[in-house]
Amino acid sequence: MDMLASAQSKKNPTSMEIYADKKVNYKTPQEVLEFLQSRLGDAVTETELREYKEGVCQYSRWHLLLTVKRESFLSLVDALGELDFPHFHVTSGSDDGDTVRQIYHFSLFRREGRGRELTVTVTVRVPKTDLVMPSLHGRNPGVGFSEREMNEMLGVAHDGQPNTDLVFLPDGWDRTILPWRRDETGPEGKGVINELD
Amino acid sequence: MTKTYKLPIGPAHVGLKEPVTAWLDIEGERIVDATVRPGAIHRGIEFMSRERNPAQVIFLAERICGICSFSHSIAYAKAVEDAAKVQVPVRGQYIRSLVLELERVHSHILWLSVACYSIGFDSAFHLGMALREKVMDVLEALTGNRVNYAVTAIGGVRWDVTPKVERVVRDMVAYYRSEFHEYYDAVINDPVVKARLRDVGVLPTGDAVRLDALGPTSRGSGVRADVRESSPYDAYCDISVKAIVPQDYFGEVHGDVLDRFLVRLLEVYQSLDLLESILDGLPEGPITAFPKPVAGLAKLKAAGGLGYGCIEAPRGDVTHVVELEAGDENVFMWKVRAPTYANAQAWPLMFIGNEIADAALIINSIDPCISCMERMVLTDRAANRQGVVTKDELLKMSREKTADLRRKMGKC
Repeated sequence: MDMLASAQSKKNPTSMEIYADKKVNYKTPQEVLEFLQSRLGDAVTETELREYKEGVCQYSRWHLLLTVKRESFLSLVDALGELDFPHFHVTSGSDDGDTVRQIYHFSLFRREGRGRELTVTVTVRVPKTDLVMPSLHGRNPGVGFSEREMNEMLGVAHDGQPNTDLVFLPDGWDRTILPWRRDETGPEGKGVINELD
Repeated sequence: MTKTYKLPIGPAHVGLKEPVTAWLDIEGERIVDATVRPGAIHRGIEFMSRERNPAQVIFLAERICGICSFSHSIAYAKAVEDAAKVQVPVRGQYIRSLVLELERVHSHILWLSVACYSIGFDSAFHLGMALREKVMDVLEALTGNRVNYAVTAIGGVRWDVTPKVERVVRDMVAYYRSEFHEYYDAVINDPVVKARLRDVGVLPTGDAVRLDALGPTSRGSGVRADVRESSPYDAYCDISVKAIVPQDYFGEVHGDVLDRFLVRLLEVYQSLDLLESILDGLPEGPITAFPKPVAGLAKLKAAGGLGYGCIEAPRGDVTHVVELEAGDENVFMWKVRAPTYANAQAWPLMFIGNEIADAALIINSIDPCISCMERMVLTDRAANRQGVVTKDELLKMSREKTADLRRKMGKC
């Protein structure tokens, strides 16, 4: 059978190249950083490249951390997609007061052999007055659970995510209570914790 | 006229961070669509970390999963160590890898056995469970516990590998080298097993990539990805690991339950080789960066920043993200991504075109626990009828399909 054709890919098409038959555009971590900076310019506001050395031989692996403006987030993901299909791990996030941080965890080059994987963490600060992120659904349908989780836990909507149902909270949950928020919409602010006590 | 029925499977499920309900749309015996709804018993474990210091959260991390408790606690510890810039001594790194491989052996043998049970191959199930006892004994000899080993510490491990433990592990490797082939031969050479698992629950290579599938689930679909190879950590920095994919061993990829079965089977042998290499190369030295835990906690309290930990657990890579705030003794933010979080999104695709009798097998094939089959409600909305299909009945259907196949193949 054709291992690349399936009902699901017709149902959830992705605009991104998955590099099944095509070679990835491998770059070293430093080159990836330079490539993204040249593509995104000032939209990348913070960068950090971490190196970890472990084992007796002190073998290196790398982690690239970026902060990007919301309007350039999709351009950044598309730029990553020019190198390799950005494998999506998860989104983490935090309520920082006036903004909610969305932290996307990707990896590149994970099918390219020993030691070539590059972890890429992308942080976006979303103002609470306009809590919307562009969805990655059309690019990477594996983001479904994470986007829905960020919606129900932190109140971040995702423009383009077709499924907005609850994913981890029980049916009938009061959606004005956002469990991971630290303000008046969170469990402390809503008095839910005291009620349970 | 063909009627479409809605068939929910779940939601209770002990083996996952998030229990899962799968709603199957069925026409006759055939599954035509599926929807997955996790979260029936979300425990709010990440929220709980906000009132605990990094050392206390280890105990929460260990209890995310009963089978791969060590994988979670190590991914969590790595995230904290990344945030606080803590370097684990090399001997501590090796002991972590040793326990991770022991955990992989016990998890894979458990999975392989339960897969045989669900298709009615009871003798292989019993053989597998008997074989698994050996690794459980070794984990007990090393840590004092069969599950939740309490080995993890921020900055290293809590238990050293003594010469006696090393001998026990080497004996175990020798035992599996001489005994595991019995299980391997029994299932590999059984034509009914092959017929029963072949082309069931197919996940094509492209979809495994597209849906971010992980571990043996994606490797069974031919995706050459293993964190131990692509992003080596701890002892894997010194010991080379190659991702096991069916095309390297059998020349082709089907992406079905049989391929996922074979990948796990081969990974047991791979783990035995790794265990031996880890013991051969075990360096001398301290096992933790913080021999005095209080000093460790003080350093963690002073540290701030985002940390990331990702390791290859038996079911795929486990990702933990931790944020610490300087001056705050508690964890500021913690996010856990268990492998099933990613793999469950591929379930709908695996179900489509298969029979209800295969549902148990397909759910099991990504390695959650079969107990999610415990409750299943069959609803005929058109006729306004409702009945309950129990785990036993579902299992019976799966076993009857095997027996029928066996008869057709002239095997009984």
